[in-house]
Amino acid sequence: MSASFEEKSVWIQLGTMTVGLGVYFVIAGPMLASGVHAVSAFAALFMVAVVFMVVLMVIAYIVAALTTKVEGRDERDRLIAWKAEHRSAWLAAVGVLGAVTCMAAGVDNVWTANLLLLSLALAEILGFVLQLVYYRRGV
Amino acid sequence: MAQEKLTISNTIRALRFAKDEMTQQALADRVGVSRQTINAIEAAKYSPSLEVAFRIARVFGKRLDEVFECLPKPR
Repeated sequence: MSASFEEKSVWIQLGTMTVGLGVYFVIAGPMLASGVHAVSAFAALFMVAVVFMVVLMVIAYIVAALTTKVEGRDERDRLIAWKAEHRSAWLAAVGVLGAVTCMAAGVDNVWTANLLLLSLALAEILGFVLQLVYYRRGV
Repeated sequence: MAQEKLTISNTIRALRFAKDEMTQQALADRVGVSRQTINAIEAAKYSPSLEVAFRIARVFGKRLDEVFECLPKPR
């Protein structure tokens, strides 16, 4: 069964987010470990990662639109998206609770911000993976 | 309360072939869903909403229970 445009869209978002934020954390991890505390350094790195993701996404969407019939979301796509989000949101909630705990414990803001970003990214990635599972295995 | 598990089967594939070998894409266009959704319904990987189920039945000029059948899931 060939993939619909909506399923390809999920693949694109999963790929670009994994690569973009993967690159960010590969660089940010050693920065944190070496004791960099300037939020501006991480903000600049994050902005570069976001621009990189947007460029990748635009290119991938153009290719997908040229090779696949673009149909709107139907009820199955909406159900899959809702179900995946429903089962991945806990990860973001854990990250938010962790960040609040870190703030209360007086952990450096840079660590707190990166923990929050990591949990949000992992929640999104888990959501995309679940969507792909539902597209293939059924919902 | 324990409920019996049900599985919904359908005769869409047979009905398509009986209707001048209608393609999944043609049926999808008439129902207003993607071809992949029709494929998933045929393979019993997705149970459509009542609205889509009625639309499918209407395309073939059949009653809903002539297209979809609900059976107990085998254990």
